[in-house]
Amino acid sequence: MGAVAFVLLDTFAIQKSLVVVEPESAMVANETAASQSDPVLTDNSYEDDNIKISIETVRDDDSTIYVADIQVSDPSYIKTAFANNIYGRNIKATTSEIAEAQNAIFAINGDYYGFRDGGYVLRNGVTYRNTARSAGDDDALVIDKDGNLSVVSENQTSMESLSNNWQVLSFGPGLVENGQIVVDSSSEVSQSMTSNPRTAIGQISDLHYIVIVSDGRTSESTGLSLLQLSQEFQERGCTTAYNLDGGGSSTMYFNGEVVNNPTDGKSTGEREVSDIVYFGY
Amino acid sequence: MFILDTKIKSNKKKILKTSLIYLVLSLSAIIINYVYGLFGHGVHSSYMTWMFLYPLLGGAVLYLLIFLLVSEITGFVAYRMFYNIYNSGIATLTIGSLLKGIFDIAGTSSVYIAVFYAIGELFVAIGLVMLLVLAVNLKKSQV
Repeated sequence: MGAVAFVLLDTFAIQKSLVVVEPESAMVANETAASQSDPVLTDNSYEDDNIKISIETVRDDDSTIYVADIQVSDPSYIKTAFANNIYGRNIKATTSEIAEAQNAIFAINGDYYGFRDGGYVLRNGVTYRNTARSAGDDDALVIDKDGNLSVVSENQTSMESLSNNWQVLSFGPGLVENGQIVVDSSSEVSQSMTSNPRTAIGQISDLHYIVIVSDGRTSESTGLSLLQLSQEFQERGCTTAYNLDGGGSSTMYFNGEVVNNPTDGKSTGEREVSDIVYFGY
Repeated sequence: MFILDTKIKSNKKKILKTSLIYLVLSLSAIIINYVYGLFGHGVHSSYMTWMFLYPLLGGAVLYLLIFLLVSEITGFVAYRMFYNIYNSGIATLTIGSLLKGIFDIAGTSSVYIAVFYAIGELFVAIGLVMLLVLAVNLKKSQV
């Protein structure tokens, strides 16, 4: 029983800090902030010279879906961050806590890399993990330094060949590639069965993105299947779309507030996660 | 060879009792999988679904075969050693499968699962070899 308890604790609870990420210096951040114009801000939109965000809430497939249309002037405004600025196992904070720490304008939960030992992790140009996941469940999202999204198989693509990119996230599966839906109703990965809360990101054109978060596991909102999620992206003209960690992790944060209603089906409220994808300075 | 030493009396009933206990454990494994599935939001793991096969085939069926074919091996002193090692192996494999299932459903993994399988398979292999040796010697002694 001791061995079982140890393995459970090691997997779900014991924190292993592997790399402390140095935050950008306050001076650099201030200089950057000073260069941006005063933003025009509403409850569901943000616009300045570099970043334009609008969020709409729609009802589809018996679900409440939050769709963010985001345009940036430079790919460096698509960023990722770790909980507590630490890369490691079981290092966690809520999406909103991580976003606030980074002064993010808009954020979603990432791939929850710290819950697994496998899966490529490359963030803001730095490689943290080069262990591929097992074949068949190994789609990784690549955001290159021009801000373009693509989906690769980790078993068919070495981390070395991806190391020159801006971000690599490992969850999946890919939803849309070359404008075509690449999942069907039976294509479900072990983490992402049938109707659930979802988080996903897609690209329409250069530096123009769609982010979708759906509520789920409630009587008001059942959640989306991967096929329904893919259709949402395709209908909006995305050429590439990728599924991130969902379920209780699914969170959309905008201008200091959580936009959606995160729940794991048992309790409401944000779940702590390992990392976020965010837009900001 | 000490493992082939014999006691005065064999105990066939104990084999049947062990087989029945394993049958109950198999049913328990099926129930655990079912109950866990109710809270899994449609996510299943084959490791948890099929974990009942370890106590069913490796336990209930094997001990039933022992009872039917070589029940007199309980008369060997070493039977107790086989019993302990083999049962530990089946228990370790079943627990390993349960943990693997829990981790699969949660979307995580652990390097220690491989240790459970390695130890479980080793114990089962040792147990089966001992069982074979005992069975062969039982047959020899009966000729």
